Amino acid sequence: MTGQADGDGVSRRDLLGRTAVAAAGAASATVVPGAALAAGRPAAGAAAAAGAAGSEATIEVAMTVNRRPERIRVDPRVTLLDALRDRLALTGTKKGCDQGQCGACTVHVDGERVLSCLTLVGTVQHRSVTTVEGLADGDTLHPVQQAFVDCDGLQCGFCTPGQVMSAVALLREGHTRSDGEIREYMSGNLCRCGAYNNIVQAIRSVRPGPRSR
Amino acid sequence: MADSPLGRPVNRVDGRRKVTGTAAYAADQHPDRMVHGHLLVSDVGHGTIRSMDTAAARSAPGVLAVFTPFEPLALAAGAGQNWVPLQDTLVRYHGQVIGIVVADTFEQARDAAALVRTDYDETPPAASFAAGIPTATVPTGGWEPPVVDILADGVTSIDEALAASPVVVSGNYSQPSKHHNAMEPHATVADWRDGGLVVHGGTQAPAGHARSIAAALRLDPAQVRVLSPYVGGGFGNKATTWADAVVTAAAARAVGRPVKTVLTRPQTFTVTGHRSAVAQAIALGADHDGTLIALKHDAWSSLSGSGSVFESAPGTTSRMLYRTANLHVGQKVVTLDVPPSTFMRAPGEESGSFALECAMDELATALRMDPVALRLKNYATVLPGRNVPWSSKHLDECYRVGASRFGWARRRATPSAVAEGDWWVGMGMATAVYPANRFPTSVRVRLLADGTAAVSTASADLGTGMWTVLAQLGADRLGIAMDRVRPELGDSALPANFGAFGSASTAGVAPALRDAAAAAVRSLTEIAVSDERSVLHGADPAGVEYRAGALHAGGRSVTFGALLTATGHPAVEATASGGPGGPPAEYAFHSFGAHFCEVRVNRWTAELRLSRITTVVDAGTIVNPKTARNQIEGGMLFGVGQALFEGAQVEPNGRIANANLADYLIPVNADVPPMDVHFLDHPDTVFNPAGVRGVGEIGTVGVAAAIANAVFNATGRRVRDLPITVEKLL
Repeated sequence: MTGQADGDGVSRRDLLGRTAVAAAGAASATVVPGAALAAGRPAAGAAAAAGAAGSEATIEVAMTVNRRPERIRVDPRVTLLDALRDRLALTGTKKGCDQGQCGACTVHVDGERVLSCLTLVGTVQHRSVTTVEGLADGDTLHPVQQAFVDCDGLQCGFCTPGQVMSAVALLREGHTRSDGEIREYMSGNLCRCGAYNNIVQAIRSVRPGPRSR
Repeated sequence: MADSPLGRPVNRVDGRRKVTGTAAYAADQHPDRMVHGHLLVSDVGHGTIRSMDTAAARSAPGVLAVFTPFEPLALAAGAGQNWVPLQDTLVRYHGQVIGIVVADTFEQARDAAALVRTDYDETPPAASFAAGIPTATVPTGGWEPPVVDILADGVTSIDEALAASPVVVSGNYSQPSKHHNAMEPHATVADWRDGGLVVHGGTQAPAGHARSIAAALRLDPAQVRVLSPYVGGGFGNKATTWADAVVTAAAARAVGRPVKTVLTRPQTFTVTGHRSAVAQAIALGADHDGTLIALKHDAWSSLSGSGSVFESAPGTTSRMLYRTANLHVGQKVVTLDVPPSTFMRAPGEESGSFALECAMDELATALRMDPVALRLKNYATVLPGRNVPWSSKHLDECYRVGASRFGWARRRATPSAVAEGDWWVGMGMATAVYPANRFPTSVRVRLLADGTAAVSTASADLGTGMWTVLAQLGADRLGIAMDRVRPELGDSALPANFGAFGSASTAGVAPALRDAAAAAVRSLTEIAVSDERSVLHGADPAGVEYRAGALHAGGRSVTFGALLTATGHPAVEATASGGPGGPPAEYAFHSFGAHFCEVRVNRWTAELRLSRITTVVDAGTIVNPKTARNQIEGGMLFGVGQALFEGAQVEPNGRIANANLADYLIPVNADVPPMDVHFLDHPDTVFNPAGVRGVGEIGTVGVAAAIANAVFNATGRRVRDLPITVEKLL
């Protein structure tokens, strides 16, 4: 997960602390600047000082999404998932549970798969996010996307963006040595329609090395 | 001429949109000025709401409105239940809708909802299914008569027939209530414009959804348009309109802004429907050669006090599956203060087949007879009681082909006879049956001057493949390439369609599309012979032949695109409708199948793994073996969930303790074995000219029994209470 503090981001604890303040209704008219976030300083003082209903603290987040620089000012409670969907109009990433249990919201942050519903957008400050919309090269589908189409690795399609993002990461992680390994490492992505065998077949068809199990 | 894509494993036409994230589902809609709704639900199981303190929520940032029974929305009819949301203070069950908060953003609506304080006068709910069985009642309504006795001459009761049977087995079977858990939570975006209402909502039945919403909001049905081009799974739970949709539409009207409400995952467990809990008692009496003398099957299903749908177990299985001299099926219901019970994939067959097909296995064991041989011994060629044949039945072939593909001959009849390392290995089989349904369906075929065609019906594709099937059927009937056919569905304004449920869509669409295409060609021919600008002007219409997208007569031919262009017609179209299939007085209509599976049970830890499964399906002509196979596998996985994982844990106060995807277990990728699915592909042309039945549900039926039977074969343990969890094997 991406919740831990890192070199240029805000720690999860700091952000959660601020979020709790905002969520409790002690809202602030003071904008929390991105620089304060980057420095990892809690903004509790500013938040506590205010309290006028109808206004809220916001944070500014700069990130790269699908190779495009983005800068958004949002309520600190906003998850990466809701930022993508509601603020950046990237609705390919789906909300299946909002609790980190289904995998439909899987995206890549700095190349690693994360559950965007459990990732507050403030924690991806200055990071690089890739969503299902960012995989294809123009009209040419990513090989994993094409394999999902050819192998019918989907039915309703709602879990598919998450499955595809997990599959792309899986190939990078090298966890495709056997069907059993693919199944194990794809088990965080639920598919209620039951296209699991076709998903495994799709991943097998694009992995390096042998095509058979 | 384009080769017909019918029967070929063509790729899903919506696949590209789904792998790129461009398929826009209901919750992906974001009309201008849209705000967000968040439902309030009751946190007691039964009683009356004394008060709701909404002051803090109302003053929270961004909040536009809070609606409750004390400040209700105007609603006139229920949706999915027999009461109208927010019109009274009664709490009928835990998790019932009692209000909605509307705010500028999702986060504001969600967090403001948490500020509402509700006080109740609580009364204890009747939430225990087991406790209600002694006072169960015979249901009224329902499609099947609740009690059917078909007795041989001179036999006065089924118990008398059982008592006279040389070999008798009996057992009690049970399973908890279950939840669909489609990956897409129910979502509604309600957008009032131009005096009407546009609703984006994932539904299995766009036209029905529009009618239900119109009734609830006292609108003319023509004022409501439902758009549902992509549906993130349904399994029966999006066939009905639930309270969230009508409350959201009414809230949007009240605040004068488009409103989006998406259920949280826990809310999907209580605001929408679920499958009944079912208890069953079954007894089989047979002669020593395996001939059934008596079959007695009774079931008790939970029924929500808020609804009318329950799991009809014996009526959908034992009622018709085997030939027996004496038959009794009986159904009772246990009415509970729980969320609405509704249709869930193979409603009735799923539970009924578990009891019947396990009991058949128990009888085979008692008789020392092969389970397949026992089923063939009692093979029904006519529907018991009505004595009419099936329109097309090849269940015997399913057994033979399945046994051969699976290697059933290697099964050892004695339990615990096979071990590999630390694992007991067992094999089991069971029968699948599901009715062939057809509902009233209209299809429009439109031929356009650019040489393309549009094929339209107000159906839905919830992963079922209907986008693709429509394109295939259109290409087949019009003799043109699939990429020249534009399927249209998921819009209540399209030609009428009951919706996608009952495994009935393809059987409804195919014959109507056939007739519509023929009618469109007749109109085309009329233009061709009557319009002076046509190269076929003056030809005898009887001598004009349509073939491969063109009209041919007297050595001349013209494509429909060229003809329409030359004669100045942008398009020609026709709509045709069809109803139920075949003559029901003369035939019975069902699909059939057989499952053969192997399980491994660890002898030390009792870990249970399904290691492989073969399923042979007799469902008429298969339009697309690629999407059909996927759908059958998905159906089978519902059976795997039934057998091994699924069940709501309802607390005494009516709260569902595991209302989330971490605690309500559904199969994950690592739970799935290789699946060998084979279609017999025998056309059922009595049912409809296209010979198709349906594949949406039959895959589920019988899987749990096959697994339970394999567990018995592996371990000698007969588990009659689902799911088969480790502690039941230790």
